[in-house]
Amino acid sequence: MTHEAAAQPFVMDATFWTATVIFVLAYAVIVSEKIHKTIVAIMGASLMLVLKILQQHEAFHLEEFGIDWNVIFLLISMMIIINLMRPTGIFEYIAIKSAKWGKGEPFRIMAIFALVTAVLSALLDNVTTVLLITPVTLLIADALEVDPIPYLISCALASNIGGTATLIGDPPNIMIASKAQLDFMAFIYHLAPIVVVMMVFYLFAIKFIWGRKLRTRDELKQRIMQMNEREAIKDPVMLKKSLIVLAMVLTGFVLHGMLHFQPATVALFGAGLLLLLSGTHEPHHILAEVEWPTIFFFMGLFVIVGGVVKVGLIKWMSIQVLALTQGNLLATSMVVMWFSAFASAIVDNIPYVATMNPLIIDMARQIWPDETGRALLQHADLMPLWWSLALGACLGGNGSAIGASANVIVVGMSEKAGKRISFMKFMAYGMPIMILTVAISTLYVWLRYYAFSS
Amino acid sequence: MKARDLMIPLHEFLKPSNTLKDAVNKLKSARRDEMRIGVKGLPVLDDCGKLVGHLSMGDILKAVFPSYMSLMDLGDFTWDGMVESLAKKVSGKSVESVMTKQVVTVPEDAPLMECVDHMLKKDVKRLIVLDKEGKVAGMLYERDVFFVITKSMLDEPEKKHR
Repeated sequence: MTHEAAAQPFVMDATFWTATVIFVLAYAVIVSEKIHKTIVAIMGASLMLVLKILQQHEAFHLEEFGIDWNVIFLLISMMIIINLMRPTGIFEYIAIKSAKWGKGEPFRIMAIFALVTAVLSALLDNVTTVLLITPVTLLIADALEVDPIPYLISCALASNIGGTATLIGDPPNIMIASKAQLDFMAFIYHLAPIVVVMMVFYLFAIKFIWGRKLRTRDELKQRIMQMNEREAIKDPVMLKKSLIVLAMVLTGFVLHGMLHFQPATVALFGAGLLLLLSGTHEPHHILAEVEWPTIFFFMGLFVIVGGVVKVGLIKWMSIQVLALTQGNLLATSMVVMWFSAFASAIVDNIPYVATMNPLIIDMARQIWPDETGRALLQHADLMPLWWSLALGACLGGNGSAIGASANVIVVGMSEKAGKRISFMKFMAYGMPIMILTVAISTLYVWLRYYAFSS
Repeated sequence: MKARDLMIPLHEFLKPSNTLKDAVNKLKSARRDEMRIGVKGLPVLDDCGKLVGHLSMGDILKAVFPSYMSLMDLGDFTWDGMVESLAKKVSGKSVESVMTKQVVTVPEDAPLMECVDHMLKKDVKRLIVLDKEGKVAGMLYERDVFFVITKSMLDEPEKKHR
């Protein structure tokens, strides 16, 4: 390769522009919500193939341009495990137990629900968590005759904060982990501590916002205290099996870096084992409940982004970002974090992170042209950038009612229950919390990765 | 036998804008036939007399049943007086927001078996019978079909013996 070719690795030819137009158009239609995002992703991906921007084998088999099967199988496997656990009643049990632990005190219950939601979101995905917590929240609010909206908003916000803590907590983290080959413990080590700090601030924030307004009568508290959470457990045998498999899977996540397993391998084994132990002869029910539209959305996006990576659009974008920050990594981290936060508040953070991942790798290639593989992906100076992306993209989801799938679900369920949460109302609480948590992250990233290094 | 011969003619209808409170009042006082008062469902007609829906007891139960209870197994965690207080809460809702919009209808000259076909496949106990102009003429009840069946079962052997 000549020096000139290395400096100019792509040409802005017809292929470049075709791929760029497909990419921009797909993202514009996804944001506009005129057509379902999954259909847009599948159409965009197939156009990348039909117009020969990507060869089919590149889209299906190459890590660089194609579908990230590690992400896909991790998502599918976790969904299968949750779908098998749900009928046991464990989630109803946890929620009712939490409400009783709150002694029927409205704010105490809100705080405990926020904590439980954050922890569950860190271990499951956010969408699953709010799907499980929201119905019980509405029931508890009816029992106490209080307005459910503060509880629902609080749960949605807590789920996005909690989900930031682990590799499996939020889709951006799953995608980042797979692309940067980071393991579960790396997220625990770098993100979980600051998420704990954020949750402390968050509890003070909700106390300040809603603490004084929530009041109920003593006789209504009795409604909560008279509930018997044990009645929630419908299938104790299956519950035991599920908890054993879940414990194995979580242990597997903790150890997967050491044992050289990908997270998807661990999750797939758990899903297979629990399916076997469940003794079901009709796995199609469980498999049908996998959120296939989400899975296909991911697959389509990977191919669309693969197309623009191949033609060099992402490279061009990374050159622009580096020019903007003049190669200063602290500045780049901060730009990535805050830009990611606001971008994720406006658009789905999944397509955003799908685009940012290759962009960051490309920046790394330009800064350290001699490094490859893991040495490049996990270059000590690159790591804060990954964490900034994860923090910005996950926490940014709180910025608006459409910033995260969890918010969309909470708002939707609330409306169904006759309690509309307007876009502006959600934002009035979500945006300040987003800015608070991203500000904490800014301080954290600066202190931990930059302030004391030369 | 045709739908026309078995249906009970209808004289009372609901409006989409009625509240549920108005509606249950009407259901309570509506005439079912010469003897009985009170029906479990009525068609909903718009101002032009066009059929736009049907409000049944089941629809009203669903309106009282909170949406979150259908999402999870929460039946064990309810309390005394919950149904009553939720019923008061939804009494101001409009009939339009609660009614079934996909109404099962049959033309008045439909053979009885066609009616049974609808009842079984669409899992309904009442069919709205329409006249030739497409206006609501009456209601065909499952139990009246059942009486036809019992009658012919019990009649048949006697005929053979004759």
